[in-house]
Amino acid sequence: MTKMKRRTFVGLAAATTTALSMPSIAFGALPRVVVIGGGAGGATAAKYIAKDSKGAIDVTLVEASKRYYTCFFSNLYLGDFRAYGSIGHNYYGLAVNHGVNMVHEWALSVNNAAKKVNLGSGESISYDKLVISPGIDLKFESVNGYSAEAQSKMPHAWKSGTQVQLLKNQVKGMKKGGTFVMVPPPNPYRCPPGPYERVSMIAHQFKKSNPTAKIVILDPKNKFSKQGLFMEGWQKHYPGMIEWISAETHGGIKKINAATMEFETDLDTFKADAASVVPAQKAGRIAMNAGVNNGDWCPIVPASMQAQADENIYVLGDASIAKSMPKSGFSANSQAKVAANHIRGSLTGSKVFTPRFANTCWSLVATNDGIKVGANYKATNEKIDKTSGFISKTGEDSNLRKATYEESIGWYSGITSDMFS
Amino acid sequence: MINKSYADQKQLVGADVDYGEHLFGECVTCHNSTGLGQGIPKITGMKTSQFITKILAYKTKEKENAVMQMVAERLGEEEINSLALYLSKLK
Ligand SMILES: Cc1cc2nc3c(=O)[nH]c(=O)nc-3n(C[C@H](O)[C@H](O)[C@H](O)COP(=O)(O)OP(=O)(O)OC[C@H]3O[C@@H](n4cnc5c(N)ncnc54)[C@H](O)[C@@H]3O)c2cc1C
Repeated sequence: MTKMKRRTFVGLAAATTTALSMPSIAFGALPRVVVIGGGAGGATAAKYIAKDSKGAIDVTLVEASKRYYTCFFSNLYLGDFRAYGSIGHNYYGLAVNHGVNMVHEWALSVNNAAKKVNLGSGESISYDKLVISPGIDLKFESVNGYSAEAQSKMPHAWKSGTQVQLLKNQVKGMKKGGTFVMVPPPNPYRCPPGPYERVSMIAHQFKKSNPTAKIVILDPKNKFSKQGLFMEGWQKHYPGMIEWISAETHGGIKKINAATMEFETDLDTFKADAASVVPAQKAGRIAMNAGVNNGDWCPIVPASMQAQADENIYVLGDASIAKSMPKSGFSANSQAKVAANHIRGSLTGSKVFTPRFANTCWSLVATNDGIKVGANYKATNEKIDKTSGFISKTGEDSNLRKATYEESIGWYSGITSDMFS
Repeated sequence: MINKSYADQKQLVGADVDYGEHLFGECVTCHNSTGLGQGIPKITGMKTSQFITKILAYKTKEKENAVMQMVAERLGEEEINSLALYLSKLK
């Protein structure tokens, strides 16, 4: 029997019980879940709702792109540890193995009262429950002088894809002995260790082909994730190449000029030969449109990931305020499973389990030098609270660091298969 | 306190296969669900007793690995047995 046949059969059987227990849903029609955004949160949610409901829920995933390039491991691509093609994934598995209805379009707006999502094509789709996992939008204006136009001179490369390819090209083409300037974002942002892993991978490139190059980090913060571990690694692998300048020291970035590649601070004006500027961030626009945000991000109910503003909408991943969880792909995947279980429970009466959240973020500092930080979390009334955690230690032996790097390769293969196959 | 000897018991006390399937979602973020064992060992097809012994070794921190120690730390008897039951039903 093919997967579709089985699905239709089970679906019809389940629809009868659903119609009896859920009077608001027309007889014979399956409950409908629409997911906006096919990234770490949305792809996982769509898959688990479809897979675990075994055809009892109709799942549609609205994702603008036909191919998803992960931000995770995009830094490894910068360092030549991954090929570009290996970080791209399609939605074949979701459509074929799990019967998810893939709609490759932009969701333009949400009509909360009518429970409809309006698409770029003018079509609309109805939902009983809506999942929003759109990732981030960039606040270009947060760095004076940065803009959508300037992004090709100073790529942010914070949504993966072409921007990362461009950045790599600029790093490789930078003049010998030149200066690369990295501007990390202010908190809160997607992937706290990401900018510093990026610096490590660019330093790794320079060490091979441009050893007299310099990297200057103009940070809007006074400290950063895994700081001790990164600093130790930079000293060990790239001595004298990387200078991290805290906000306190440079006094703030007053203005940048993409034409002259200048960065003006209180301390000095820095001239770059290549640069990456990652501005402040906010939840993807569709979340604002659905009215589930409070300012830049979306407050959620910790036990279910439901939006505080609308119980029929769930917000996952970077767009949500899931503190104390960091904005990571691992977190988004973990939150998606909690939401999927809750959604199935409310639509089909299946068991709803106590939510369990977890996160681990691996970073690569140099060849075979991996580090990691992780934590378990539980839902309280106020937040997603950390219950225990760990972080790699400075001075660890090289075998452990190598094993940590290899573990990250396993994780990448695990999470992408969990999302897409 | 979890007693190691229950790894040998035939009865998986408190085991619930649906709960096991749900908990398994936490494993497959890292352990490739299609069984590829690259960088992280494959767990599909693992024997019940083998699974329980390993998890307990992480729980008591006899076996090293920060992530697995953290995962095992919050698995109680009911969770471990449910996972074991679910795993035993996977090919
Ligand atoms: C350099 C870098 C390195 C990173 N490394 C790691 C790492 O090692 N580990 C880790 O766990 N995380 C890492 N991350 C973080 C991780 O990428 C994000 O936290 C994760 O992708 C968030 O998932 P999400 O579902 O919220 O958003 P995304 O994964 O960004 O998915 C959002 C999707 O929604 C789509 N979309 C948005 N709006 C619409 C709309 N209106 N209509 C249709 N489609 C829409 C987008 O096209 C996109 O595909 C890294 C990030 C960066 C930038």
